[in-house]
Amino acid sequence: MNFKSIQAKVLIALVVCLVLGTGCVVELMHYFTVENSKSMAAEAATSSQKLFAILEAREVSKMTAVSDVLLADTQVRDAFAAKDRNRLLTLTAPLYPQLKSQGISNWMFHTSEPDTSVFLRLHNPAKFGDHLNRFMDKEVVRTHAMVSGNELARAGFAIRIIRPVYDSKGAITGYIELGEELGQFIHAMKSQSGDDYGLLLNKKFVDRQFWTDSSAALKRRDNWNDNAQFVVADRTAANDRIIRFQGDLSTVPELGTELEEYRDGSSVFVRAIFPIRDAAGNTVGAMFVVRDITAVYIAMRRTQNILLAVTVVSLSLGVFLVLMLLNRLIFARLKRILTAATRLVGGDFETKIKTDSDDEVGQLEQLFEQFRNIFLSVLAEISGAQLTR
Amino acid sequence: MSQLYDLKVLIEAKITAGGLDSADVRGKIALKAGRLLSFITPTTPDDPVGVAKLKQAIKDVLNINA
Repeated sequence: MNFKSIQAKVLIALVVCLVLGTGCVVELMHYFTVENSKSMAAEAATSSQKLFAILEAREVSKMTAVSDVLLADTQVRDAFAAKDRNRLLTLTAPLYPQLKSQGISNWMFHTSEPDTSVFLRLHNPAKFGDHLNRFMDKEVVRTHAMVSGNELARAGFAIRIIRPVYDSKGAITGYIELGEELGQFIHAMKSQSGDDYGLLLNKKFVDRQFWTDSSAALKRRDNWNDNAQFVVADRTAANDRIIRFQGDLSTVPELGTELEEYRDGSSVFVRAIFPIRDAAGNTVGAMFVVRDITAVYIAMRRTQNILLAVTVVSLSLGVFLVLMLLNRLIFARLKRILTAATRLVGGDFETKIKTDSDDEVGQLEQLFEQFRNIFLSVLAEISGAQLTR
Repeated sequence: MSQLYDLKVLIEAKITAGGLDSADVRGKIALKAGRLLSFITPTTPDDPVGVAKLKQAIKDVLNINA
């Protein structure tokens, strides 16, 4: 190939354009893949947050209904009003296993103000008389209306309701509290969404001794020292990658945020996190969500490969067509002029350039033909008999 | 005879012997040498520059040292 020729330079320019165009498409597809992964992770956080809120609302409704039924029992109300702990325990203890089987693992009666101590713990009857002083305890005393929400306490991180108990005269005799461990939420969420979850609690809000005691009670490993800032309350996957986090839990945005896309074998996952707040509005923890996007990822990759192939084929075809067009319209015609001029000088006075085009090269062809005729006339005039052929 | 004419005869002989395209070869040599071969006759006077140019053209086109 003659690299000095315009044809070679045009070919090189077109090949460079082809490579650059393909590179741009590849970069663009990579960008869209990353953005799609981020969108799917953000969507996983959003949908999980909604699912969590729905489960919260459902459990609050359930516990409210249960408390309605319990408080409709005059024997229970009277025993509580009379502060007869043994009778209250006798009446309610048979119900506790049933409630526990439905997830309501915390059930307490509190005395009314000013004492507001624990009168009876159905899940631990031997322990009573202590003051919890949690936000929700203070709120129900302040408002005398049902309070619900998540609260991290010595008994664990749970969604609770606390509501006043009235005697037959309408006076408050104390408060009843029902609660469900939040840890079980993530298993319910997994069964509904198929995603994996991990619930973390900020150590700042967790009592060290409680964690050791509850770990022993629940027969789980005491994982307090696994992470500097948080403890893993529960998770649906055994893989530690689900809860890997280096930042500060309190800085996680309200609507959650995507963390990463990663591969595990042939599967592709996205990971996101959203904050868990207690009833007082403190960010007491966070929930990780891991979504398997393998199917979507494969579909995206397939689409990308098709798009890349179509791009390369289209650009190659474009380069080929441009070269064909340039060759037909310019280079082949220029070569014919060069050949005719050479042959004319070499003594072939009959080779003519036929032109039926009025484009730039056509004008050159016409000019050459005019030049050829003038050249022959001049030759005939000045040489005459000198011509040897 | 002039040296220029001898070179022209050499060119014609090479074209005939090689079965080359006469107009094409003569044209290429003429363009490189800067003169029409048709005007070279046995009486054409030699000039050193013209002879050198024609020899170089023969070498470029026919790849022979004249």
